Order: sequence, then structure tokens, then C-alpha cells
Amino acid sequence: MKSKWYPVLLFVVAFAMILSGGCATKKTTSTPPGAQVEVKDESKWTPPAPEEKPAVDEAALAAEAEQKAKAQAVQELTSVTIHFDFDSYELSQEARSTLALKANIMRRFPDVRVVIEGHCDERGTEEYNLALGERRARAAYEHLVILGVTPERMSIVSFGEERPVNPAHNETAWAENRRDEFVVQ
Amino acid sequence: MTNLKRILIPALCGLAVLFSAWSASAAGPLTVDIHGPGQRMVNIVLLPPKPLEGSALPEAPAKAFEELVANDLSYIPFLKLVPASSLLGGDPSKGVGRTDIDFKPMQLARIDLCMTTGWNGNTIEARVFETFSGRRIVGKQYRDVGSMTLAKAADRFCSAFLEALTGKKGFFDSPLVFVRQDGKTKEIYTVLPQGRELKRITSLGGYNLSPSWSMDGSRIVFTHIGKKRHELGLFDSKTGKITLMTRGLGDTVISPVFGPDDRVTVALNQDGVTDIFELDAAYKPKRRLASSQYIDVSPSFDRTGRLMAFTSGRAGNPHVYLMDVKTGEVRRVTMTGKYNTHPCLSPDGRYIAYTHRTPDGHRIFLHDLQSGGEKQLSFGPGNDEYPAFGPDGYFVAFASNRSGEYKIYLTTRHGDAPRRISTGKGQAFAPAWDTSLQW
Repeated sequence: MKSKWYPVLLFVVAFAMILSGGCATKKTTSTPPGAQVEVKDESKWTPPAPEEKPAVDEAALAAEAEQKAKAQAVQELTSVTIHFDFDSYELSQEARSTLALKANIMRRFPDVRVVIEGHCDERGTEEYNLALGERRARAAYEHLVILGVTPERMSIVSFGEERPVNPAHNETAWAENRRDEFVVQ
Repeated sequence: MTNLKRILIPALCGLAVLFSAWSASAAGPLTVDIHGPGQRMVNIVLLPPKPLEGSALPEAPAKAFEELVANDLSYIPFLKLVPASSLLGGDPSKGVGRTDIDFKPMQLARIDLCMTTGWNGNTIEARVFETFSGRRIVGKQYRDVGSMTLAKAADRFCSAFLEALTGKKGFFDSPLVFVRQDGKTKEIYTVLPQGRELKRITSLGGYNLSPSWSMDGSRIVFTHIGKKRHELGLFDSKTGKITLMTRGLGDTVISPVFGPDDRVTVALNQDGVTDIFELDAAYKPKRRLASSQYIDVSPSFDRTGRLMAFTSGRAGNPHVYLMDVKTGEVRRVTMTGKYNTHPCLSPDGRYIAYTHRTPDGHRIFLHDLQSGGEKQLSFGPGNDEYPAFGPDGYFVAFASNRSGEYKIYLTTRHGDAPRRISTGKGQAFAPAWDTSLQW
């Protein structure tokens, strides 16, 4: 009799454990206790755009694509900075390939104008750093001219050690701060 | 004949009196040679203020004046203020004159100098005597002193006293110009070394850097960095106006100073390298002073404009060089280390203070051009930068972040313990001293 009920009992216990286990997994949630979870559905139903007429305005489309490509190019031009060694304005191989990409972009979009900003880390002294920042900006400027960018489309300014991207006082921060930035006007 | 005698005898007597006065003074008045190899400490006591001619002593201003003088004198490293209360037998003076003072107890206490102050309504009489000889070193009277002019009177007196003692004047009256962090921008301010008369000069935004005085102290020149260019900034104290100039100057305007004939000398980049140029009266480049294929910046002149110290990278690392402006001859001054920048020539052209980079940060060093000797003036911690000589060639101001943020400090060319100058809220950098009063 006992042995007959035993598997049934085992099954019931196992089922209970699965249930409680399931409860436990429900409790682990990324929401901290006490936090209110607000679910907002911001998406609104928008009617699907009316079907493009077969007679497409090719020019407008091309302009739109061009605009998009340009925005992307400008983003690429400004987001990548080039870096230097301490007390140096020599362009590394990496900096040269970055500049080659920038030159391509600038040749492709001839109405883009760029301010090249030279920056230094905080370890030097102010006036020497202003001159060093200028040399860094000029190094990029001259390299871009060699790669076929018209000089009139670029200007340079040195900020010396005035505008660090990383305000910390360590090697990592200094390496990040010794840079040229490219600002599109 | 009798007529001649009548004239001669008083004349001779007069001469004799003059001679004895001269020989007394030649017997060795107390002076402090601030240019000597070292310096001795001088003890001074400020005797309690006295009412004059039966007037009542105005307690509050008298106390305030004494505190102002004590504060001023505390900036002088070779003066030690001894409290009057420490004198045996109490106040040794009954009045303010030589005959009213009993110098004996002060001699015994090894006090070299004593100061007396007399008050008659709004008039102050201040004197300093040598306790050994009873000789009066300095005596001044200031009339109509109100609460607004009390500090000015104290500064004037301390200037006169310091001049009598050292032969050099101007310390308490010569303002420093400096750069102060205002939020994200850097603006230019002036202040007296004893922390008074703080004035804001620019409200231009951006970064306003490297300010420097004209030889006559009436103008300030500086670098203005806006969003995309450098400009040469000029402040004229006579008109209160600021002019910004760019035409003909190129992309960079670094470390402008006033040089020979009060013309601006500045580091510009005209053809790919940063060289030092002299500008003409219209602030256009006139001639190249220092040039190399490397960076040349931070010119500094003596008062005559014959010598120019500057920083150059021509040896591979930045070092300090000296140029004879007339002949154009250049010689290297710093030989040790790998980063020596921001030289400041003393007004008399004998010393160069500069920033020397060490593994522990920048430190201020002094180079004696006469002997070639070098001396470390500041010892951190943190960075000590931007040395600037005072008009006397004795005090050296510099900026240091030893407290966590950059502030301006005062030491001497002997490297005395630095004293912080109060410049208000925000970090302070790049002090430059008006040296016009000394000359």
C-alpha cells in the first residue's frame, strides 16, 4: 500500500517544488524593490505612408539621400579625433589613416568647412602648450592639404590645455587629451 | 674782517653739525641687503598707539590701523613681529618721538626696530626707530584718514618703511595681474600683493590668458581665445577700454608682453612655425626677434629691454634661452632637465626665474646670470608654475595647485616660505607684476 502511494507522493512534491521554483524566478526582476514601474506606450498608430506614386521625384530623393549621407559624413568627420605622444606633434600611422578618411569625406562634400582644434594634456605649461596645440592642429591641416583638401576650407585654433575631454590626472586621461578635434562649421 | 668772522663762524659751526650728523649716519644704519647672499632676521615691535596734543585716542581705527600694518609687514620674510606685550616693564614709550621712548628694554630683548603711531583726530603720525641708535628710519604723517583710506595709509607707510630699509620701493603699491577661473571661462583680474583692491578687468568669456603689464603700468596685454581663433587683447586703464585685434597676426597669439619702447612682443605663427615677433605701434608684426624651426614662446624682458629670455624647443625639448636684443646673439640658459619653460627676467636683468619640470611636478627655479648659479625656489607639492618678479627683483609670485586648486603665492628670490595671496573665489593662474614704480 505504502509503496503504491509513494510515486504519487513524489510527483506531488516535485510539482509543488516546480511551482515554488517558478514563483522564485518571478521574484527576480531587474526592477529594484519599491521602484514603480511605469509602462508608457508612446507609440501611436500612424497610418502607413501613402503609396509612393509611380512618378517619383528622382531629384528630391537623390537630394534626400545626399543630405543623409552628408550628415553621416559630418558625424564621421567630427566624432573621430587623432592623438599624439607627450610633447609631440608627429602624426602616427593611425592618425594618418584617420586623416585619409577625413580627406575622402571632405573631397566628397566640398561645401563642408572644418575648424581643426589642437589640444594638449595638463602636464606642460600653458604658453608652450598653446604653441604645441597649434603645431598639432597644423600637422593635421598640412596633411589634409597634401591629401587634396583646399586650405581655404580649413582653419586651425589651439586651446592648449584649456579643454580636456577627460579631467582626470592620469596617463589614460592625458593620452585622451593630447588630440586634434575636427569641428564642422 | 669782523664781518667775515661773523659769516665764517656760524658757517663752520653749521658744517661741523652737518659733518657730525653725516658721521653718525655713516656709523651703520640698519639696512637690509635683499640682494645679498642671505638675509638676517630683523625684529620689530609695534608700540601701542598714542593720542597727540591732548586729543583722545580713537580706539577702533587705531586698532584697525595697527592690524593693517601688522598684516602688511607679515608679507616681509625678513621681518619678525614681536608683540609689545612681551616687553619687560610694559610699554617703553610715553609718546611718539625719540625722546619719549626708552630704548633700553628693547635693546635687551634684541629688538632692532620699533614703530610708534600717534593719533590726532583724523591725522596719523607713524615712525620707525632703530632701537640701538635711536635713529628715525622713517616718519610719515597722513591727514584726513577715514575708514576708506585707512588701508591705503597703512600700505603707503609700509612701502616707505620698506624702501628705507631695503632701498627698494613699490611692493605694497604694485598690483599683480592674473587669470581667474570663472565657471568655464577664464577672466583677467588685478590685485595688490597684500590681497587688497581686487578688480575684474575682462568679461569677455572664452579664455583670457597670459596677461602682462606695459612698462609704465597703464596697459595690460593678453591672449583672448574665443570659439575658433586667438586674438590679441589690450586693456587701457586710462580709458578703461578693451580692444581685441586679429588682423595680420595669424592663427595664434601666444604670450604677449611689452618689450623695448613699450612695444608689444608676442609669439605668432606667420609661416608654419611659432616665432617671437615685435609688433609696431599699430600692433602689426614688425620684425622677427627669435626664430627657429621649433616652438619659440614666452618672451620676458628686463626693464631696459636689452635682454630677452624666452622658451625654445630648438634643442629637442623646451629650454630657456637668453637673447641680447641689440646683437641678436642667443645663448642657452638651462642645461638640466627636459622641460624648462616660462622664464621671467628680473627687472634689473640679473636673474631668470623659470618653471622646471621634475618627476613630482613643476617647480620654480632661479638662475643667476652673473654667476651661472641655480637655486630651487619652490618645493610643491603639486605644480608650481608661472614665476613673476616683483618691481624690487626680490619677491617672486607664482601659481601653485598645492592646496588642490591653483592659487597665487609669494616667495622671494631666496626661496622664503611661500605665502598665499588672496584672490577670491576660483582658481588663479599666471601672475604678472607691475614693475613701473621701481623705476
